[in-house]
This record gives sequence, C-alpha cells and structure tokens, in this order.
Amino acid sequence: MTIDGLVYLGQSRFGYELSPEAAIVSLDRNKISAALTAPTHRPDHDFDLGNAYIARAAEESGGRLVPMARVDPWSGELALRQLTHAVGDLGARALFLHPDEEHFRINDSRLRPVARRAADLRIPIIVASGYQCWSEAAQITQFAPWCPEVPVILTNGGQYNISGLGQIDAGLALQIDNVYVQTSGVYRDDWIERVVSEFGPERLLFASSAPLMDFAYELKRVELAHVAEDAKSLMLGGNAIRLFALDATRNGQSITT
Amino acid sequence: VVPVIVDMHMHIDDLPALGSVVSAATCIARMDEAEVDVAAVMTLCDLPGVNPGALELIEEACARYPGRLYGFIRLNPWYRQRSLELLEYAVKSSGFRGLKLHPVSSCAHPAGEDSIALIRKAGELGVATLFHCGDEPMTTPLSVAPAAAACPDSVIILGHMGGYFHVDEAIDVADKHPNVVLETSAMPYPAKIRQAVERIGAERVIFGSDGPVSSPVLERQKVVIAGLTAEDHKRVIGGNAAALLGVSR
Repeated sequence: MTIDGLVYLGQSRFGYELSPEAAIVSLDRNKISAALTAPTHRPDHDFDLGNAYIARAAEESGGRLVPMARVDPWSGELALRQLTHAVGDLGARALFLHPDEEHFRINDSRLRPVARRAADLRIPIIVASGYQCWSEAAQITQFAPWCPEVPVILTNGGQYNISGLGQIDAGLALQIDNVYVQTSGVYRDDWIERVVSEFGPERLLFASSAPLMDFAYELKRVELAHVAEDAKSLMLGGNAIRLFALDATRNGQSITT
Repeated sequence: VVPVIVDMHMHIDDLPALGSVVSAATCIARMDEAEVDVAAVMTLCDLPGVNPGALELIEEACARYPGRLYGFIRLNPWYRQRSLELLEYAVKSSGFRGLKLHPVSSCAHPAGEDSIALIRKAGELGVATLFHCGDEPMTTPLSVAPAAAACPDSVIILGHMGGYFHVDEAIDVADKHPNVVLETSAMPYPAKIRQAVERIGAERVIFGSDGPVSSPVLERQKVVIAGLTAEDHKRVIGGNAAALLGVSR
C-alpha cells in the first residue's frame, strides 16, 4: 500500500491549486492508495474554512484523503482552538505547520503552546522544512524536544539546498528520536541511502508535496532509490500507517487488493 | 556509435577529508543502470585548491573510459592567470570539453572580471561553461545573467536550471540570452522542463543528473515525465549535449 505523506488541497494565495477531485485522479493514476492532505493558505486567510474544506473532502473521498489541520501560530489562542476543533470534531490526524507561508520561526518560543497542544492531542506534526530563516533543520533541533511524545515530520528531507548542503544539519535533527523526514524533493539518492542505513528506514516517508511537486516523479524517487525492498515498503506506506494510525481497510484498501 | 543519451553533469573526486570520494567506476555503474552513453565529469573542488591532483584525476578517468567520460575542468576564478593557463592546457592538450564554475565553493561572482575572463576564454577555445545555478547567493540565474550578456560568444549552461526556487528566472534568463542553455539536474519539476522547451526551444535544454550521488536513472525519469515530443526528447536527453561536447557525428 502506498500512502502519500503530503498533498495540498484547495486554492493557495501563493498561486497553486489542487482540487480533491484532481487529487484523486492523480492518486489513481499513480496507484497511490491514500494521501495525507493539508489545506493551502487560502486567499482569505481563513484557516477554519481551510480545515473544514479538507474535512469535507476527506469524508467524500471514502478514506482516500486523510485530513490534517493547519493553523497560523500568530493567531495565538485562536490557533489552539482551531487545532482542537479540527482534531476533535473534524477528524484531523495531524498538525501541518508551514513556517515559510505563515512567516514564523519554527523555534520561536511563542510556538511552544501549539506544539504542546498537538502533543496533548497525540497527533504527529508535519513541518514544511528547509526554508532559510523559518524552518532550517538546525532550528528543528530546538522545536522537536518541545513535543517528544509525537512524531515531528520534516518535508523535503529536512533541507532545501540544491547541493544538499543542509543534509548535515538534517542529520543532526534526525538524532532526535521523534524526528522523521519525507522524501519530497530529496534529489540526492545518497542521502536517502544514508538515512536508511544510519537512522533506519522507519524514519523516512514518501510524500509528493503535490501540487508544488510532481506526483509521478516523487513516487519514482522512492521506487528507484538504492535501498532494500523492505525499506522501500516502509517508506512508501508502512511508516505512514504506523505514525498516523491509519486503517488499512479504510484508507485505500479498495485499490490495493 | 552515436551517443543518444548524454548526462551533462556528473562528479568524480577523491577528497576523504571532505567526505567527497566518488569514483569513475561508480559513475560508469550508475550510467549503465540508466543506459546513459556518455557523461561530462568534473570534480567537486576547484583548481587551484584542496585537491591539487584534480586535473589528473579527471584525465585518468576519461582515459580509463574512452568514449564514455569527457572532462570539464573546475576552476577558481580568483587565481585568474593560473586558471586561464589550466583551462587552455586542459582543453588544448588534454581533451577537456568544458569549464565548470561554482560560485559557492570559489566565492567568485559570475559577473566578476576574473569569472568573465575564464568564460570568454572557454568560448574562444570552443567549449561551454557550466555554472552551478541554484538558490544560493551568487549562483541564481539573475546573478549569472550579466556574465551571459558580457560573453555572447560563450555558451553558458545553467546547471540545475535555478534549483528549487529560481527555475522561472532561469527560463527568463535563457529566453533573453541566446547563449544560455538550461541543464535539468536536481531541480524537482518535470513540468518546468516542458515549459522551458516550449519557451526557448528544445535546442537549449539538456539532461544532467549531478550523479552519482544523485541517481541518473531517476533523473532520466524527470525528462520522460516532462512529456516532450519524441523529437524534442531526443534533443534534450542527449542530442544537444552531444553537440556541445563535440561527440556527435
């Protein structure tokens, strides 16, 4: 079973867009069973509406789209209420934070209540990572210990440098037990190999980051990686099922049997 | 045999102290896996620099795998006179087919006088200049653009075609400067390859992998997923690079 660890749904104020219907078509085309989905930062900046949109899309997808909650930490108490509502009432399975699009430093101490609320709710936190100043892997080493009870999952392998210059810092972040990394945009095959050999295949998750990145190409990134097949199996779906407590019979079983 | 698949960007080096040990044999193994016929190879360090034997390392690799590997000499523009001498020797006497400049490792701006001197010399020698072109200061497409304007008779290849966040700018720069070629390695957007071909023509887009640490077999898939016409795909995957390397017939 293949689970995509991150797909953005809706219209973004930053110019990208993916509808739930188009997402399902892409999942089918690429034989992806299910996807963790995050709301975009909407043009109206309304995160409540974004979370509701994702919840509705998830409900209508029959389990193919798994909802995550997105909040703007600058909203303070409102962000905490939105997160609690999304998890308790809308079925969100994780918290998604985008420090670059919401303009906050992931290790800003004012973010600590959001991290603690996610920890109290026992949901993983996905962080759009590798953005200079906002979510560098070295900054994650300060954030992740705030919520040791839950996984902190970094997009883009934890770094966003076209020479892989952030990989050493990402390695430092992975020394923290609750840190995991996604494969989206990780162009260096040797980095994937290193994470598997040094930290274990349990620490890597396939994600497309679509529509910012390409479903088909990001899937190939894992399928063609030079790692053992059982490691690929964990990366492609096993780790997501474990970390997000997915139900294999609900989240995409129909196209994988 | 006419090479049909050409990887314009691979690395070889032997720098244990920096953790950079990549052999020609590893390059060949990855090329074979991806059915790549020919590759341009270059070191991970600049000359003059921390690996004084960098030129000989590439020479030996190309000699060991004739017809498969062609050298690019990676130079530090700050050592202007010595680098000009090395470039001339490498191309005229040792069969190197290009110049590599990496402003992150050299801290030399692409539009600086010393870089310009090397790029012009490469043009005079009939070889292309491959830039690391990503998101770091001094490497972005708009940082390289003044060099393209100053050296209209030199072919400038934007390796990584702008990295993660500067790909649109790379296409803009190539659109404005006809001596600029875009190379596809590492950047993760197949659709941008198609956009580039539609805007500047398939003749100025070339396949590269940045291997062997990145995977040529995966990087090839990016060009496949781009969904080009058969003719354009043939140019991008090898035809254009073969012409630049002077290995087509």
